[in-house]
Amino acid sequence: MPRAIVLDGKDNVATLIDPGRTGERCALQGEAGGETVLLQDVPFGHKVCIRATAVGADVLKYGQVIGRASAALRVGEHVHVHNVESARGRGDRPKGGER
Amino acid sequence: MSRTFLGYPREDGTVGIRNWVAVVSIMDNCNPVTRAIAHAVDGTIPVTTLFVRGQYGRDLQIAYDSLAGMGRNPNIAAVLLVGLEEQTTEEVARRIRPTGKPVEAVHLQPDGTINAIAEGTRRAARMAIRASGLRRVACPMSSLVVGVECGGSDTTSGLTCNPTIGRMADRLIDDGGTVIISETSEFFGAEHLFARRAEDPAVAKAFVDAVTRLEREAIARGMDIRGTNPTPDNIRGGLSTIEEKALGAMAKAGTRPLRGVLGYGEAPKAKGLNFMDAPAPAVENLTAFAAGGCQMIFFGTGVGNPIGNMVAPTVKVSGNVNTLRTMADNVDFDASEIFERGASVAPVGDRLYDYAIEVASGTRTTSEVLDVRETAISRFEPTI
Repeated sequence: MPRAIVLDGKDNVATLIDPGRTGERCALQGEAGGETVLLQDVPFGHKVCIRATAVGADVLKYGQVIGRASAALRVGEHVHVHNVESARGRGDRPKGGER
Repeated sequence: MSRTFLGYPREDGTVGIRNWVAVVSIMDNCNPVTRAIAHAVDGTIPVTTLFVRGQYGRDLQIAYDSLAGMGRNPNIAAVLLVGLEEQTTEEVARRIRPTGKPVEAVHLQPDGTINAIAEGTRRAARMAIRASGLRRVACPMSSLVVGVECGGSDTTSGLTCNPTIGRMADRLIDDGGTVIISETSEFFGAEHLFARRAEDPAVAKAFVDAVTRLEREAIARGMDIRGTNPTPDNIRGGLSTIEEKALGAMAKAGTRPLRGVLGYGEAPKAKGLNFMDAPAPAVENLTAFAAGGCQMIFFGTGVGNPIGNMVAPTVKVSGNVNTLRTMADNVDFDASEIFERGASVAPVGDRLYDYAIEVASGTRTTSEVLDVRETAISRFEPTI
């Protein structure tokens, strides 16, 4: 079973430290336990959503904001540049991306 | 008993972990001659540069200070400067002479490159023979200044190699040494946590100001930095945003208080942890570390970045099992047991500290033996 590390109890993502396939269960380790069923293939080192997150909400890893959800995130979904975006240094956005 | 390494004490009180003669270009048009001399003489390293000709103001000062800083670096026993003409060469020479180490020069004008190569080879050969007469002696860990870097990062970096380097950094600081972290842009999203570690409000403010200034500059350009930082290989490795990258990058600075904030290539005044405001890309950042007097650099990598610095031996650390398989030739230290065997970071970092003492005492790094080394002084402004 692929392993996924949760770094802080507040996090809504976990980091896979083995490659995961669609439909596979991954074992949560670290600051949360249990299992999450992967809705998509998630490569080694990529993130999976472990807590449903609304569009525009903060994405948390290390208990810190790593960006905001650019689409609603379902539990088990691959979380990456297609559905989370940076809020820093964004010259292409008003106010540099900050809210 | 306090620990020591075997190093080369220098006249100015610093200690080298290598004992090279540096052949240093004063400007880009000197590089072919610099390379020819360094190729001809064992015991030398070429320190090349781009630009300098046409630079002025702040950029020219950074260029001269950085070239001289690499010449002053304790790993360098003697310096041969390769210049176009004497006036610009003197700008670098006068910044190195206070160390007391031998500084000589050859010029392309007026006698041409063949004569410059011949005379430079003769001088470098004499300097290399003289330097080889020095012997290593036991030196205190407090004489080490170490840069901590990451490159080719992925999500393993923040969880394996960077915290391992952080543990090593804490051990070195506890033994009286100095550690410099840099890569200003890679604090976007983590600066509030790092600023808390400043020993006083002035240091905290200087650090936050550097990060804020760079972010404002990026925003003022009106462009999207995504795809430049994080880079395409960072993204392939699972890092989604600069904030995520920054939170992992910070781990390589360990846990000790932040004591000083330095400009590009500036040498630290305080022992312990320092921050240097310098661009994040590896080659120019490592060059700034070498110019600031770092004898050694620890470089965490995830998906794999093999580059090392010419003057400061660069120890590549990875905790990514895939990279350790595919790029083993370019990695010096394996931290994969953290994921693969559930090891905690502290003993792996302690083992890295032991390895630091070995490298400081003469064990060579992959980027040295394979000559995967490059120099680039940052350029911030136009030439004229």
